[in-house]
Amino acid sequence: MVLLREGMCPGLDRELLRGLRGADIRTVEGLVSSDIEELAQKCSVSYKALFAIRRVLLAQHAAFPVSGADLYEELLSSTAILSTGNPSLDKLLDSGVYTGEITELSGGPGSGKSQVCFGLAVNISHHLKQSVIYIDTTGGMTASRLLQMLQTETSNTQEQMEALQRIHVFRLFDVHALLDCLYDLCGGGLQRASVGGGSVKAVVVDSVSAVISPLLGGKQNEGMSLMIQVAAVLKTMAKDFSVAAVVTNHVTRSSGGEVQPALGASWSHIPRTRVLLQPAPSARPFSCCSLRSATLIKSSRQPCDIREDFDLQWWSRGEEGPSGKRKLDETHDESSLVL
Amino acid sequence: MLRPLSSLSLSPGVRLKLLRAGFQFTAELQSFSPEELAEEAGVSQQEAQEVLEALGSSGGGAPPLTALELLQKEEQSRSIVTFCSRLDERLHGGIPVGKLTEVCGAPGTGKTQLCLQAAVDVQVPQCFGGLGGQAVVMDTEGGVLLQRLDDMATAAVRHCSLLASDEEQRVAMATFTVRSVLENVFLVRCHDYTELLAEVRLLPGFLRERPGVRLVVVDSVAFPFRLHLDDPPHRTRLLQGLAQQLVAVATGHDVAVVVTNHMTTRLGPGGSRLVPALGDSWGHAPNIRLLLKWAGPRRAAAIFKSPSHLSASVHFQITSDGFRDAEEEPDDQPQSKRPRGHAHQSASGAP
Repeated sequence: MVLLREGMCPGLDRELLRGLRGADIRTVEGLVSSDIEELAQKCSVSYKALFAIRRVLLAQHAAFPVSGADLYEELLSSTAILSTGNPSLDKLLDSGVYTGEITELSGGPGSGKSQVCFGLAVNISHHLKQSVIYIDTTGGMTASRLLQMLQTETSNTQEQMEALQRIHVFRLFDVHALLDCLYDLCGGGLQRASVGGGSVKAVVVDSVSAVISPLLGGKQNEGMSLMIQVAAVLKTMAKDFSVAAVVTNHVTRSSGGEVQPALGASWSHIPRTRVLLQPAPSARPFSCCSLRSATLIKSSRQPCDIREDFDLQWWSRGEEGPSGKRKLDETHDESSLVL
Repeated sequence: MLRPLSSLSLSPGVRLKLLRAGFQFTAELQSFSPEELAEEAGVSQQEAQEVLEALGSSGGGAPPLTALELLQKEEQSRSIVTFCSRLDERLHGGIPVGKLTEVCGAPGTGKTQLCLQAAVDVQVPQCFGGLGGQAVVMDTEGGVLLQRLDDMATAAVRHCSLLASDEEQRVAMATFTVRSVLENVFLVRCHDYTELLAEVRLLPGFLRERPGVRLVVVDSVAFPFRLHLDDPPHRTRLLQGLAQQLVAVATGHDVAVVVTNHMTTRLGPGGSRLVPALGDSWGHAPNIRLLLKWAGPRRAAAIFKSPSHLSASVHFQITSDGFRDAEEEPDDQPQSKRPRGHAHQSASGAP
């Protein structure tokens, strides 16, 4: 809670502050939760004055109730649904990634997490003409792949370059740098990134588990605390600036051999929507197949456990042939893109 | 929004003292001078100074690159050729600088050979299309044979001297000799994972002193971690930390980092199969994963994870000169779409 300071509210002067310190009360929390009557005797101040101070402090620090109707209005005006560019994934996500919440993509190595993130970034910067923040913690960000995706969308070089300029890339490799970056984004970084282009619509963290998992599993619980901080700042940012936060996560195997997202139970409450990416059931391990299946494992809008198959080749499909099905058969034979 | 103090990179003792004194958010510290803070929180003045410095530096990190700037950077950086032209082609020029590449394979498939070849090739002078760099090789298995390095260096020098046509290249050849190649490989022998972790921590300093280094090899990362560590969560934690440090080195110093990995057997519903060792969580760490294996009588290399390359499989051979193209490559013919040697690989790609 907040430290008590002189001039915080009327009546809270230096002398009273010293008295409160004497009674070992330093914070607003301490003052609010202590017994006023007892405190008044201990510090020899009037009960009335203390009572008034407490009321002001409570009012200052309390949240304000908002009516559901107002909130809904605001929601309608501020929420955007950002298409991933891939129709199957959009169907799974109820037409795309929503701003104001955290969406998680999890999957094993090479399951296509980064490709989906790249596709989303390209779609937002090219089709919506808005900016994207891409925080790369694994060094996997490859601009030539983004260019490749853009080339399938447009052959106009100028448009390609403009779209690339709207994607801002941070490359950070430890959790403190990530926190510094996220807090800086909240404190004005998002506005700075919006200068000279569309406003920032999405913040992608690829991947969040790469920086957090080196801290987990030890005896100290510092890692846990830092993980929750990352979650808190992402949530606040998503809500306050109505951006979509997209994070990627590793997977672990449960004792039964089933694949599940990493970072444990505490993290599982953080994302609003979770999608698990896996190689399509038909594909063999290490085969050159770009088919993936996406399973919705947590959502507040769609029934869970629905599954959609999609092709990573979608983002590098040719100009002609809008039918994804036909395209799929064509690309089947050739070597394909892997993550 | 208010930033909690616990998100700053502070020592636990100092953080605890600050929290005890009632501070919780960074904003509350902003008006303090080091002396005031030291008195208020009961920390030494030195510590108070550090806290305020941490506060000031936060948020002032490196400015973001736009994807366009990143693209320009990628186009400028050269890759390390492997001398196997088909693999180079699939990798768009070779092992990329600035990325973490993993080479995995069963024993005897040529992992170390590829690493040594890269350590020689990174030194090919720039006028021959190389990088003219130096290499650091961290050997954890004791499997690096200097005799092989010498063979490969001799072959590479011979190859370049045959190619030398203009004055610039002839001048470059004067300094590109077998001796100089051996001199520019820094070998580090790490006997266990502690030594390896310590060495990787020291690596940024070493690279700052020798800015010419363009390749760091860890051969292998699996051996020390499989040998001495029995506690799986602890192993995962250390490996994840190691991976992040290697990626940071690769990006921060513009070097290619190549690590090798063993294979292990995983029992599944469909019987057992060979998978790269060190588990799934490690599998996320490398940006690019190459699998070396025997495909019938021939050696094959497959790219099976990469954010920017097509998954592909090519044949290679290992000669006394080093890592080379396989002699004849029937699957390059347009009429045969599928490489013959490893039909099981692309079987799933059949329509």
